[in-house]
Amino acid sequence: MQLVNGRRLHWRIRPVVTLLVAGLVAGCGGESGEPSDTLRVALLTSGPVSDAGWYAGAYDGLLLIEDSLGASISHQQTATPAEFDEAFIAYASSGYDIIFAHGNEYQDAAIRAGEQFPDVTIVVSGGGRISENVAPLIFRLEEGSYLAGMAAAYMTESKVVGMVGGVAIPPARGTFVAFEAGVRAVDPEIEVLEVFTGDWNDVAAAKEATVAQLSRGADVIIHNLDAASFAVFQAVREVVDEGNVAYAVGMNSDQNAVAPDVIIGSAVIRIADAFLATARLWQSGGIGGAAIYANTEQDVIDFVFNPVLMDRVPAEAIERIASTKAAIRAGDVDIPRVVFVEGEDEGR
Amino acid sequence: MSQIELVLFLESAVRLGIPLALAAMGETITERSGVINIGLEGSIIAGALGGALGALAFDGAGLGVMVGALAGLTVALVFAVFAIGLGADQIITGTAVTIGGLGMTGAVYQARFGATGTELSLPTLAPLAIPGLSDIPIVGSALFAQAPTAYVAYVMAPVAWYVLFRTPWGLELRATGEAPTAAEAAGVRVRTVRFAATLFGGAMAGIAGAHLALAHAGTFAENMSAGKGFIAIAVVVLGRWNPILVLFAALFFGAASALQFFLQALGFDLAYQIFLAFPYVLTLAALAGWVGKSRAPAALALPWEPHR
Repeated sequence: MQLVNGRRLHWRIRPVVTLLVAGLVAGCGGESGEPSDTLRVALLTSGPVSDAGWYAGAYDGLLLIEDSLGASISHQQTATPAEFDEAFIAYASSGYDIIFAHGNEYQDAAIRAGEQFPDVTIVVSGGGRISENVAPLIFRLEEGSYLAGMAAAYMTESKVVGMVGGVAIPPARGTFVAFEAGVRAVDPEIEVLEVFTGDWNDVAAAKEATVAQLSRGADVIIHNLDAASFAVFQAVREVVDEGNVAYAVGMNSDQNAVAPDVIIGSAVIRIADAFLATARLWQSGGIGGAAIYANTEQDVIDFVFNPVLMDRVPAEAIERIASTKAAIRAGDVDIPRVVFVEGEDEGR
Repeated sequence: MSQIELVLFLESAVRLGIPLALAAMGETITERSGVINIGLEGSIIAGALGGALGALAFDGAGLGVMVGALAGLTVALVFAVFAIGLGADQIITGTAVTIGGLGMTGAVYQARFGATGTELSLPTLAPLAIPGLSDIPIVGSALFAQAPTAYVAYVMAPVAWYVLFRTPWGLELRATGEAPTAAEAAGVRVRTVRFAATLFGGAMAGIAGAHLALAHAGTFAENMSAGKGFIAIAVVVLGRWNPILVLFAALFFGAASALQFFLQALGFDLAYQIFLAFPYVLTLAALAGWVGKSRAPAALALPWEPHR
């Protein structure tokens, strides 16, 4: 193998790849002579958008931007971190205005691409790094999972609740820290279990992690996973079918309809609304140099009970969660968070 | 750990080990013929989607497993045509087949169930307790109250061992993996043997994928194979290309994953990555020859052209 000229080779190949991808993108668009004032928006995900959750919400957001703003859109799923840079370059060099990179994992590649292409705006969901044209879009999902924790505390009979996560990245740990705080706000005696499987889509791992927590006595399980969340719902369903009482809590999107028989409620990000608001913000020239926040106040973050199982929720829980939600909106609740955005402190 | 917890842990270990055992058993046969199929991951994910679609179409998990095996075999056929038929590089072909398999299954799933996905509730393979054996204390329920596909793995291990080491077929298969040109001179149809061994490996990987979807998770999700094809290839090395040892190696990998979930659920605050890495360290040790004598088939991964 010739590794001597690896770096130079890379630079020689790069424009070719870029041209190829750009050609593909243009080819997919159909019209090569598009007017230049059409808003062009791209989405990058590092997992399948068929997860009925985190990535699905982003894809819905992309479609909403197409519908509402008449934008021309494109989506790519990157398989490996090595593809992050190439995907950014492909979109930036072919004239996209906004690239939504939907995950914390894109933050470093986004900064590199932003330096190389000053005309593009990159929005990194859950990102931590900021530059002139790279802005993190921070979902204060802590606010929703805090409410979910309160709901879990009211629903548990065993006084043990569980959290099953994928990879322990700061935004994911943040939701669990807040969930735990929500549980403790209702009953400090409740035990909270935590397992990370190391993979967002590994259903077998998520299933066994959930089974391990259920067998430790947990009867309410929240997740922070992508497609593997289906296995959490399935594991809970199996113990319910055996005649036990147990619930799952949905996360990232309103998952109540995904498994209406076991999900008591969902900590929701209205990702689509946040994407549309961000695109509008871009049109008014308001993006750059600072993080964009989406929270309960704007109704982007929420906790929603599953209407199918609503009759099992004590009235006290419904009232207290509603009043806490109002208090969070007013900024009166101190929710612990994991700090990962540049220049941000513990405060709101 | 109390006895109940030990039993739960062992059950989890076996559940996690079975799909690895099924895929690794097939890959053992494939590699013994001199072919390394890195495209195993593609066969597993195709088997998972095939199993899910088959079970929905025929409203039965048993037929779903058949469809899954067929899907895995089909993916392996693509690999075999290029790697064996055309003599292409096996590693590159296998990588392409894995990426293609993950992409194709995603496209089919999204076309069938919508781009943003949904939780499929599939007909599942119910665990089948074997009377007597499942009552053995501690290990009984873990080993003998599993889905029927688990018993395929148990039965396949000694059968594959016998065929491989005690029959003329097995001798021909091993000869194609050790010295294909000599085998050809002795009248063995090397490419036919390699095709058959690769297709068998694909079908087993397909069953492993169908097991994941129908016996374990009860649902399908894109990318749900999550690297199990590559782990299975490591399992083959740890099991020293011997079907019986491969079964134990797969259960060991399963136990290592199960252990990390249990320790985390018990509240141990330690780096779970260490437990994920542990079986691989042992695999490296096996490759380096520190865990018993181990040698890959001499012609493994070498493209071969017939001499006429």
